[in-house]
Amino acid sequence: MTIPEPVSEADVEVTVNGRSHRHRVAARLLLSDYIRDTVGLTGTHLGCEHGYCGACTVIVDGDAVRSCLMLAVQADGAGIRTVEDLAPAGSGSLSPMQQSFHDNHALQCGFCTAGILMTLESVDPEDWNEPERITELLSGNLCRCTGYQNIVAAVARAWNSEGDGPERSR
Amino acid sequence: MKPAPFDYCRPTTVAEAVEALNGTDSGRVLAGGQSLIPAMNFRLTDVSLLVDIGHVADLPGVDTDATGVTVGAAATQSRVLNDDAAARVVPGLRAALRHVGHLQIRNRGTVCGSIAHADPAAELPALAVATGAVIGITGPDGHRAVTASDFFLGPFWTALDDADVVTEIRFPAAPVGCVTSVDEISRRAGDFAVAGLVAIIEVDGGAVRSARLVGFGVGGAPTRLASAEAAIAGWAPDHPDRGLMEAAVEDTAGAFDDIHAAAWYRREAVATLLVRAARRALASGEAS
Repeated sequence: MTIPEPVSEADVEVTVNGRSHRHRVAARLLLSDYIRDTVGLTGTHLGCEHGYCGACTVIVDGDAVRSCLMLAVQADGAGIRTVEDLAPAGSGSLSPMQQSFHDNHALQCGFCTAGILMTLESVDPEDWNEPERITELLSGNLCRCTGYQNIVAAVARAWNSEGDGPERSR
Repeated sequence: MKPAPFDYCRPTTVAEAVEALNGTDSGRVLAGGQSLIPAMNFRLTDVSLLVDIGHVADLPGVDTDATGVTVGAAATQSRVLNDDAAARVVPGLRAALRHVGHLQIRNRGTVCGSIAHADPAAELPALAVATGAVIGITGPDGHRAVTASDFFLGPFWTALDDADVVTEIRFPAAPVGCVTSVDEISRRAGDFAVAGLVAIIEVDGGAVRSARLVGFGVGGAPTRLASAEAAIAGWAPDHPDRGLMEAAVEDTAGAFDDIHAAAWYRREAVATLLVRAARRALASGEAS
C-alpha cells in the first residue's frame, strides 16, 4: 500500500506462520518487537538490537533477515516465518534440524538457537553443505556457549542424513 | 535500542520520494536499512522523516551487458552477489559482496545504500572508485551522474544533497587482461574491515603492466594508492616486496587509530594485501 504523506503510524498486514494479522503500529516499531509484543510470538529473541548477533533472525518472504533491522511497516504485505513454525505446535515432535541440535548438544542456554535455526531453514542445503560453507553460514549468528563445534556437527549430520527415517519424538 | 519517533512515508515514484525529502530538515532515504536502522537504534542518527523507497516502481533493476553492470537502488546485495552475468562482466562485484555483512544483512541491504551511506571501511565504495563507477542521482533539479572519485568526500559524507536519491550505479566492465581482487582484514567474517584493498591488476606475461589500487578502512573515504600504482608497473614475483609495500604505506597516511587497530597496523595491512593481490593476479594470469 502506498503512503504518500508522512505519518507516524500505519497499518500493517502480514502473514506470520500462515496466520494473517492486521495492526496499526508506530512507524518506529521494529519488526522484532512487533513479532514479540504485538503478535505475541516470543520464540524470536532479541540480543543486541543493532544487527550484530543474529538472535532475532526470522524469514521474510523466503529470506533470512535480522528482524531488529527492519521496521514493522516495511514488512507490510510480507509473509513471515518464525521459529514457532518449524515443528507443528502440540505435535510433540521437533523438525529434523531441531532434533539434530538436540542430539548433538548444539545448544546450551539456547538464546541464539532460534536465530540459527531460521538462518538454516532459509537456505538450500545443496548450496551450503560443505564444512567451510556451514561455518560461513553460521558466521552471522553469535553463540556464546557452544564454541560452534556442536552446531556445525548438528547441521552437517542433519543435512547428510536425509531419509534416515522418520523424525524421532522428543 | 529502539529508534526515536519519526514520520514515515512510502512513495511509489522517485519524483515523489524527492518531493517528500525536499524541505525536511533531517529526512533520510530508507532502502535496505541495514546501516541506517542500527544508527537510528543507537540514536546516532537524528531522523525526522524516513522515505521508504522499497515500493518505488520506476527504479532500474540489475542490468548487465558487455560494457558494464547497472544496479538500481532497490537491488539487494544478495541479488547482485548471486548474479552470474554481473560477476562475469564486473568480477569485483562478487568479490566485494562476499565480504559485505552476513547472509541476513545482504538479503536486505542494497548496493546503492552502501554507496550512499559511505562508510569509510566499506567495500563497495572502494570498488566503485577502483572501477570508475558512475552514480546516478535524482534530486529536485532532475537527474545527474557523478563519478565515484568525485562522490565520496569523507566519512559518511558524499556529494548527495538533502533531497537527493541515489537511483542507480553503473560499474564499467573490467578491462580485458585484468585480475580483480577484493581482500581485507576483519575481526570476524562479515564485519567491517579493519583495512582492505580493491586491486584491479593488468597482467602482461609474468609481470604487472598496470593497476588500479584503492584501499578502504585507511582514511575517511576510499583511498587511491597512487604511488603504489606507479611502483607496481613491471613488478614480478621475483622482485622484492619492499618497494611495493613502502609505496602503499606512503599512500595511506590518512589511516586512523581506533579500538580495533592502530594506524600503522592498517597501513601495513594494506601493504601486505597488495603483495598478496599482485602474487595472486600473476599466478591466475599465468593459469589463464
